[in-house]
Amino acid sequence: MAECPHLEYRETAGEQTFETARAYCAVADEFVQPMRADICTGRYGLAPSEDCEIYREAAETDQ
Amino acid sequence: MNAGYHDGEPVVVTAALTGGVHGKEANPNLPETPAEIGEAAAACERAGASVVHLHARRENGERAFSTDRFQQVADAVREATDDVILQHSTGGTAAPEDRRIEPIRTDPPPEMASLDMGPLNRYDHLTSENTRAFVDRLHDEMRERGIKPELEVFNDGHLNETLAFLDRSDTTDPPYLNLVFGGGTTSPPSPRRLLTHLDDVPDGAEVNVLGFGPHQLPVTTTSMLVGGHARVGLEDNVYYRQGEPATSNAQLVERTATVAEQLGRPVATTTEARSILGL
Repeated sequence: MAECPHLEYRETAGEQTFETARAYCAVADEFVQPMRADICTGRYGLAPSEDCEIYREAAETDQ
Repeated sequence: MNAGYHDGEPVVVTAALTGGVHGKEANPNLPETPAEIGEAAAACERAGASVVHLHARRENGERAFSTDRFQQVADAVREATDDVILQHSTGGTAAPEDRRIEPIRTDPPPEMASLDMGPLNRYDHLTSENTRAFVDRLHDEMRERGIKPELEVFNDGHLNETLAFLDRSDTTDPPYLNLVFGGGTTSPPSPRRLLTHLDDVPDGAEVNVLGFGPHQLPVTTTSMLVGGHARVGLEDNVYYRQGEPATSNAQLVERTATVAEQLGRPVATTTEARSILGL
């Protein structure tokens, strides 16, 4: 898995608005930190299924 | 380090403008683009900062390590400021080592760059390893390029690592240590622990202190009281006080400058900072 299926790029969510679309986690329901976005995007060999506690908890819940 | 506030030694104030962890989602006033970072650096210089600690970001706020992007940031800062000292970050949890060297390959190179002295946990599954081999590799290239390392000491164990590094390396005098206080892998924040850390700092070293979040003001104030320097900025803390987001990096620098002056320590000019840091 390269990119997280829960990753979205949004310009607006709730009261937050940005000029450039930013990484948004549909599970956490919030914009994510730039460092975490590197996991979401699978950058540098990172994998959401291994490196993201939000993804892993959601996967366990789905099971 | 010197004896303390009664010596009246100038305080080197570093502004950590952007960082590599959070972004505008945490505080919309955090600068991310080269233009924003340049503007923030200029405001901080006017407020008393003699050093700016720099990270680079992509247009969407995500982390960037490329020489090209750091070049854009450095150019924007030099264009906007008078004489401020540039300190590039080489930190980068999970980023490949080859990418983490890129920030110090700008032309001209920065006068300073950070050098993390050991591992640091991030989130639940990431660690910034910072092996001794990588620390030495980074330092070798810094030395070749005439860059002064800012030794980032995240905890007591990193103090051991720093002492060993100073023994095996030929880094320039004075050693410049940055003691880090906060949560997670960093040193638990308290004035008493800061004073204990100082007992283990090698003679002749200059010491800077930073604290994350609500610890920024207490530990930097303690540092200035006992003769150390201070780093503040939105990288480390996005609030001015509890529940009140900071309006800018400069707002945090202005408060630090005021505290320093009240403690009888003038804020270092860039010329004084270069002398103190051995640049």
